[in-house]
Amino acid sequence: MKKGASNLLSVRIIKKILVYAALVLAAFVCLLPYYWMISSAFKTEVNIFRLPIQWFPDPINWMSFVKGWQAQNFPRYFFNSFFVSIAITIGTLLFASLAGYSLAKFRYPGRNIIFIIILSTMMLPLEVTMVPLFLLIKNFGWQNSYMGLIVPFLVEGFGVFLMRQFILGIPRDLIEASRMDGASEMRIFFQIIMPLCKPALAALAVFTFREAWDMYIWPLIIVSKDDLRTVPLGISLFMGNYGTAWDQLMAIATVGTLPMIILFFLLQRAFIQGITMTGIKG
Amino acid sequence: MSQKLSITQRINFPHSFKLTAPRQQMLFGYLILLPTLVIIFVFRFYPMLQAFYISMTDYDLIKSPEFVGLSNFIDLLKDPLFLNSAQVSLTYVFFSVVPTWIISMGLALLFNRHIWFKNLFRSAVFMPVIMPSVVMALVWTFMYHQQGVVNIILGWLQISPIPWLRSSSTALWAVILIGIWRASPYFMVIFLAGLQAIPSDFLDAAQIDGANSWQSFLYVKLPLLKPTTLLVIIMSIITAMKVFAVPLIMTNGGPANSTRVLPLFIYQTAFEFFDMGRASAMSIFLFAAVMIITVFQIRLFSAGEDE
Repeated sequence: MKKGASNLLSVRIIKKILVYAALVLAAFVCLLPYYWMISSAFKTEVNIFRLPIQWFPDPINWMSFVKGWQAQNFPRYFFNSFFVSIAITIGTLLFASLAGYSLAKFRYPGRNIIFIIILSTMMLPLEVTMVPLFLLIKNFGWQNSYMGLIVPFLVEGFGVFLMRQFILGIPRDLIEASRMDGASEMRIFFQIIMPLCKPALAALAVFTFREAWDMYIWPLIIVSKDDLRTVPLGISLFMGNYGTAWDQLMAIATVGTLPMIILFFLLQRAFIQGITMTGIKG
Repeated sequence: MSQKLSITQRINFPHSFKLTAPRQQMLFGYLILLPTLVIIFVFRFYPMLQAFYISMTDYDLIKSPEFVGLSNFIDLLKDPLFLNSAQVSLTYVFFSVVPTWIISMGLALLFNRHIWFKNLFRSAVFMPVIMPSVVMALVWTFMYHQQGVVNIILGWLQISPIPWLRSSSTALWAVILIGIWRASPYFMVIFLAGLQAIPSDFLDAAQIDGANSWQSFLYVKLPLLKPTTLLVIIMSIITAMKVFAVPLIMTNGGPANSTRVLPLFIYQTAFEFFDMGRASAMSIFLFAAVMIITVFQIRLFSAGEDE
């Protein structure tokens, strides 16, 4: 009897150990590229590929940040990335919530068809429309312009869908009551609907900003002027034909990831929620 | 009677005035939808239709497009490079997506337990999702270096160094591993949300009936997770089909075309060889593949609603 109980206990302990071993392994694999990027950024050039491997930079070297930052026009690239990502995020929040409000709370002919059309673009990857979209932007004369970087991404089907689902949950009486009180439609939207949508807006903002900050292919296609390069384009310039300055590259990669890391730790809940909400499609 | 009627008429009078209010609301409803509609039509829908037209032309951006019918499609089906690219894509999708399902589900089950430092572990595991793809591609290129950290760690396990990105037999696997690294935490979050939505009564009942944790997973959690699982399957396949920033940066399709996934080949055909017609024809093939999966999803979605 006692032996059985202690067996059961040891089985539980072994199970616990296995669980934590799996967690530690997963965390190690997920964090290793971060650790390696950051630690290599602080290594001197000779120590980057030194054997035996240097797990901790010694001596700690800041110069790669300075050199990397000066190697290209990074202040400009960062400005561009922030400007474009913020513009896309603000546009998405505004247009997606307006459209979502319309689709959730107004009745008019064609509403369902429009909703289905918007939904169907959710599954349309940029890779499919890349060529015609490029030709369109070229015809607009929007190559090498902020317009070309921002306007096509000002709203996505996903955002509209998310806001519609969220606004559906807001009781109609609330809107009717405000109408009775004589509030204008615009005022109802900005002072009643928007404040109630805060959690959804936060999730959508973080989601959109992350995607915009990550954009690489589109700027690569339509930007050839240095003045309009974004951070990902600037970082990729380090992969040179003449051999890569890995220490500088890792330093700039660290700086380019920093906004995401800060955003994640400030708004972790919104981050997770944004992804969870991609899961409500089904 | 007549008095009553007149009362309703009186009530009806302002009602006819009120009729303009719903109409105004309708107008407002259209108005606030307009910006979104314009953007989606101009930048999503119109290009999609345009893709069909361009795919039937010969167009190099200099001369005006020349209509050539279906010859781009026929050429493609005879082109060994295209067929190779399609095969690389299929390999990539299959071998990145299946391990992703298993790992993301496994992680979700781990995080659904009572564990110490749960938030700490969860944040750590989530980190791959927030790394920008360009950074990810470059950092992994660095790690896959002959003397890089991946080979050092393999050395601990007595595995001799692998020429990851330098060899056509390993480069695709190197890219696939990154795909799994990136996607697993993402889908873990979705699975975890699904698991947390399962009412604890169900699990308690299973436990009372003497189910062990494996049985309660197989017979309670998995069936209840069916909608989530199907969604993850479809989303992960579509995400994997679109991947190309990473192979573009890491290998540019090489060595020996071994990592040239279809979207990358589309990009190269359009913006390196300036063959817009052929590139669009390839996009149509990709589009068809995405559509088949989407239709499949909509079917499942509506089947779910009937239940």
